[in-house]
Amino acid sequence: MNNREIYVKVFLDTLGVEEKELEGLKYQDVPSWDSVGHMSLMAELEEAFDIMMDTEDILDFSSFEKGFEILNNYDVEF
Amino acid sequence: MIKKSILNELNKHSYNMRQNIIELGYQAGRNGSHQGPALSLVEIYNVLYNYILSDSDLNFANFNRSRVILSKGHGALALYTALYECGILSKSELFTYEKNGGAFPGQPSKNILKGIETSTGSLGIGMPYATGIALAYKRRNIDSKVYTIVGDGECNEGSIWEAVMFARHYKLDNLTVIVDRNNMQSDGISKEILDVNLKNAFLGFDWNVIESDGHSIEELINAFSNNISGKPKVIIANTIKGCGVSFMENSKDWHHNVITDELFVQAKKDLEKKSGE
Amino acid sequence: MVNSLIYKKSNIRFLSILGQRGAFGYALTELVKEKSDIIALTGDLCITSGLERFYKKYPDKLINAGIAEQNLFSISAGMATMDYVPFATTFSNFAALRSNEQIRHFAGYLNENIKIVGFGAGFAMGMFGTTHYAIEDISAIRSIPNLTIFSPADCLEVAKVTEAAYNIKGPVYIRLTGVMNHPIVYKDNYNFEVGKSIRFFNGKDIAIFATGIMVSKAIKLKKFFDESNIGVTIFNIHTIKPFDKTSILESLNFKLIVSLEEHSVIGGLGSVIADNLCNFVEHPKLLKIGTKKEYQKAGDYEYMLNANDLSNDEIYMKIIEIYNIEGEKENE
Repeated sequence: MNNREIYVKVFLDTLGVEEKELEGLKYQDVPSWDSVGHMSLMAELEEAFDIMMDTEDILDFSSFEKGFEILNNYDVEF
Repeated sequence: MIKKSILNELNKHSYNMRQNIIELGYQAGRNGSHQGPALSLVEIYNVLYNYILSDSDLNFANFNRSRVILSKGHGALALYTALYECGILSKSELFTYEKNGGAFPGQPSKNILKGIETSTGSLGIGMPYATGIALAYKRRNIDSKVYTIVGDGECNEGSIWEAVMFARHYKLDNLTVIVDRNNMQSDGISKEILDVNLKNAFLGFDWNVIESDGHSIEELINAFSNNISGKPKVIIANTIKGCGVSFMENSKDWHHNVITDELFVQAKKDLEKKSGE
Repeated sequence: MVNSLIYKKSNIRFLSILGQRGAFGYALTELVKEKSDIIALTGDLCITSGLERFYKKYPDKLINAGIAEQNLFSISAGMATMDYVPFATTFSNFAALRSNEQIRHFAGYLNENIKIVGFGAGFAMGMFGTTHYAIEDISAIRSIPNLTIFSPADCLEVAKVTEAAYNIKGPVYIRLTGVMNHPIVYKDNYNFEVGKSIRFFNGKDIAIFATGIMVSKAIKLKKFFDESNIGVTIFNIHTIKPFDKTSILESLNFKLIVSLEEHSVIGGLGSVIADNLCNFVEHPKLLKIGTKKEYQKAGDYEYMLNANDLSNDEIYMKIIEIYNIEGEKENE
């Protein structure tokens, strides 16, 4: 799996959404992406990419798209 | 209309309660006791324990019973003497009042099987607690009621109004607050200390507000039966502090005081006179 | 444990991101699945106390009392009388200070089975300022009988104390410190016992008693002590009351005892240790490290720790200074 596939899989597994929903998906758009779901998503992404995110990045992580930008700062390339 | 025979019975209880309040106050000696604030409560407690509460409510092992919480703890003598009238306490138990280390101190100390639902004394504590029980009844589908007695002076406490808002929001129509409005508090006349229009205040919080003569058995019984679904109820009971004893009536000196031999005799005379009226 | 899943290894980082209050909310949401007598109450701080998901899943099990803390704990006591197990949440200072008498009355005097959850303790509230800091809460509550006081070291331990609080048949105060992305002390599940401190390392020179988020700070300092060839032992005092007296017995032969807390040195963990040390004729000097005696100007969390000389460097230097003085005395 490439990084994009891993990223997508974490979203699908953690939030229980379908792939077609991902584009444009924002925090709080679906019930599972609430504050607790968000932290769970962050923890799973950290594990998948073996990184440790800063609090500010966790708070800035507001959408499916924004996540690419943030993970880039941790040398995760898509 | 309440039957004459029941009314006579209840009047007898009121008389006995006042006699016992004076005797217990006398026995307390130099410790002194809260006689004025108990004498204003006599009819309220009498009606509750000898008319409103059922036998199963007076079974204190019954978890689902209706409960009475005395928020103005300094009315303890009314509670103790009412428990004696309805057979929960024996005479010898009653007369351990204010004995060192005893079960019946100046303010109630929790003792459920003896009818003391909780400890109170510090004001503004019991009524919010009663509100919590009323909420629990609703949540547990227990079809019982919670009665709580507050003083008009006690309503100075902000915590009372926190619970007033809460009870209306959660539609606790199983909660009845009885305000013992004797128009006095520790330092004297309430109007001069902190002038509050309690009726308007409760109406403002959208409660079911009923005013009653707090010494009229019939009016009190009517007040207890007047309910509005979804609204908590307050009975503003107009009372006389020290009611029944001439030198105690409307006197701040008898909020808490020591009763001498002479005054004891006088008080007993007053009560006999009152019963003859 | 009912929900051993909470404690699984992969959950630990998730809990740490949530921070202590989020971890509490998560743990309670798990716990209530099996404990139907739990009821959550809050003083208009449902989301802030990590109970958003709890409320969405169990709207009937969360009572919002509005901004009325005295009533919050009185209602909780009434619910407890009717066999509920209420967990009532608000900021630590509003619980311990605004509602101090309700806690004394219902938890202390009447021993009602209420769980008081105070979060944002220490300086976690950052820019909210001094009104929202809780640096006197342990002191304000500690002398009240019957209460168990928990102060967990990390987010996994928050889950542990939440479960322990449920299991205790009596009143509990849970003090939650720190912000999101909380340092991890326990990387794996471990054995938690109420009132039994947890020891780290086996140094013989300095015993550091730490509580709450300060445990992780103490552990971080270990390597500096190693470099100076000073042996340290760290005690995680997750239960302030009842206090683990054996930790004192184990520390009597050390050269220095240090207490470390995000709380006033008056009446907090430092005072608990002093109260215990005074039973011994001879004991090591006690250095109490906590917040400054005066309120400082408000700032963010890190700023406030620095302003109170609670940065890693400051803590280390304070300890070394006193340790050296004690060492000189011994050599005289």
